[in-house]
Amino acid sequence: MARDDVEARTSKKYVRTFIFSMKTGTPIEKLHVLTKFFMIAAMSVLALYMFDIPVSKGGPDIIGLIFLLTIVFVLLIISGTTKYLANSYLLLALPVPISEFIWWLFFNGGLPGAREAFYLWPGFFPIGISTIVLVGVFGVVYYRTKSFVIAIIPALLLWWITVMAGVFDFSSWATWFKISVGAVDSFTLPSASVTVALSKALGFAVLIYTSFLFLLTTRDSEIAGAMRQLGLSFKKAFFIALIFRSLNTLLIDYENIRIAQTARAAGVNRKNVFSKIIDLAYVSIPLVATMIRRSTEMGVALYARGFDAAKKVTEFKETKGITYMDVTVVAILSVFLIYEVVLGHNINHMIIR
Amino acid sequence: MSGEEKTESNTKSKYPWSNYTLKWGRGEPVSTTQYVLYAVQIAAVIILSYLSVTLLGPLSYSGISLFYFVYPFFLVFTLWWGIWGILGAYVGCVIGAGLMVGLGPVASAAYAISDFIPPLLVFIIYRGLLANRGIDPLWRDLTNKEVAGVKTKRVTAWILFIVINGLILNAISAELGVGIENYLGLIPSGAYWGWWAGWFFGDLLAMIIITPVLVKGLTNLVERQGLINGGWIT
Repeated sequence: MARDDVEARTSKKYVRTFIFSMKTGTPIEKLHVLTKFFMIAAMSVLALYMFDIPVSKGGPDIIGLIFLLTIVFVLLIISGTTKYLANSYLLLALPVPISEFIWWLFFNGGLPGAREAFYLWPGFFPIGISTIVLVGVFGVVYYRTKSFVIAIIPALLLWWITVMAGVFDFSSWATWFKISVGAVDSFTLPSASVTVALSKALGFAVLIYTSFLFLLTTRDSEIAGAMRQLGLSFKKAFFIALIFRSLNTLLIDYENIRIAQTARAAGVNRKNVFSKIIDLAYVSIPLVATMIRRSTEMGVALYARGFDAAKKVTEFKETKGITYMDVTVVAILSVFLIYEVVLGHNINHMIIR
Repeated sequence: MSGEEKTESNTKSKYPWSNYTLKWGRGEPVSTTQYVLYAVQIAAVIILSYLSVTLLGPLSYSGISLFYFVYPFFLVFTLWWGIWGILGAYVGCVIGAGLMVGLGPVASAAYAISDFIPPLLVFIIYRGLLANRGIDPLWRDLTNKEVAGVKTKRVTAWILFIVINGLILNAISAELGVGIENYLGLIPSGAYWGWWAGWFFGDLLAMIIITPVLVKGLTNLVERQGLINGGWIT
């Protein structure tokens, strides 16, 4: 990369990424986009492998998954995107691991081993960790959303998950005080269910936040530059760049059309599902028409600038070289992949023997 | 009949859509406008895929939406733009309904096959098989009584549309998508048929409501601008 390009890049404090802007000069920003892609691919393979180890072979690698999740959050903090993440996707993504946990708890048939009792209602209102969960989750979500309904649903769900586990209800360290309410209502599940469900929830959290790490810290132009470095012709690399550059524009078009429809009283703000379907059908025609018009204009502009005739083109400014940092990250992840997936070792077993 | 007239009658087909075939292309390179259009339509499918799984709830479970409204879009785009529409369907699912909702690259790349197969088969069936039997490969016969002066078979077109796209290909898509997610450990076996039904009916509903609107409003416009592919590539 030329010296003035380096200066231009480092003089900026923030650069725009796919879905946010990223602080320049952080270790994550300095990583090559191919390293970042390898990182999220390796993390997702590890997560998929770790949460899918059968119970007969020792069960999911929960400690490994917690370790991975910790790494992801550390990387997000290093990249300087935590504030944006906390304001947007952190809460938005929360229902996914929660619903994962519930689905895997109740729909994971055929697990071996003894059955354990769980409580729809333990016969008392427990005051303890479960109460902290209820108040804490409600408080945080209400503070962010200012909506009672949106706040109470995840709070009650997480509260019920803690109430359902006998280990929380009947131990003095988790329940400090009991208020008798109603009769006991219990059911049984294989004892491995909770471990599997928890590992799925953790695994999904790893998948979600590693994907966000990539989207929050990668620029579209970096991808085009990397394609050139991989030996793709200019036209192919530019085609890929066009796709990514058009994403934001189309999202803005969609919003503008939606607002324009509302302004024309097209009823695009109706709330029920069927109304939303009809609204989408209304929005679809101007959206596709705009897309075609924009493509035609861009095509003419490119043609006018000699896109077809150009024999030699200026290189992308955003191409980066591979550094020692990139090699180190790839090496560490490769060792981790070989240790866990190829050799079949397990961090859970390494720590808990 | 003179020799000239004979040649003309042999090359003229009885259907106005006979120039939309399964050939590689029209024998001319991709123009700059087409080049941009193919890229932008892929971007549009990515955005619509993302909205499909997020609009009806915060970050839909496993990238599966109960109303995947992008489905009719990429089917129509495939009939217009051939291989580019199929590519858009796959890439749109990998990025929009996979990576952007946090499914990770491996799972996204695997389950997006479910969005690759249906448009591929739709293109082959409609352009290769049904176009020669009086069914418009651009689906205009779903909404129009006639296309370029030729009377359409609307009832047959609708029956074929529902059976081929709504039932058979939609079932293949649901089976592939939910099956792959189940194999990767993203969906528990006990919930398999629940998610299968959600996928199937969600796509079916979107297809029946949105496809006619798209076709009626846009196919003629795109055709008039000469932007519909004669074959797979151009």
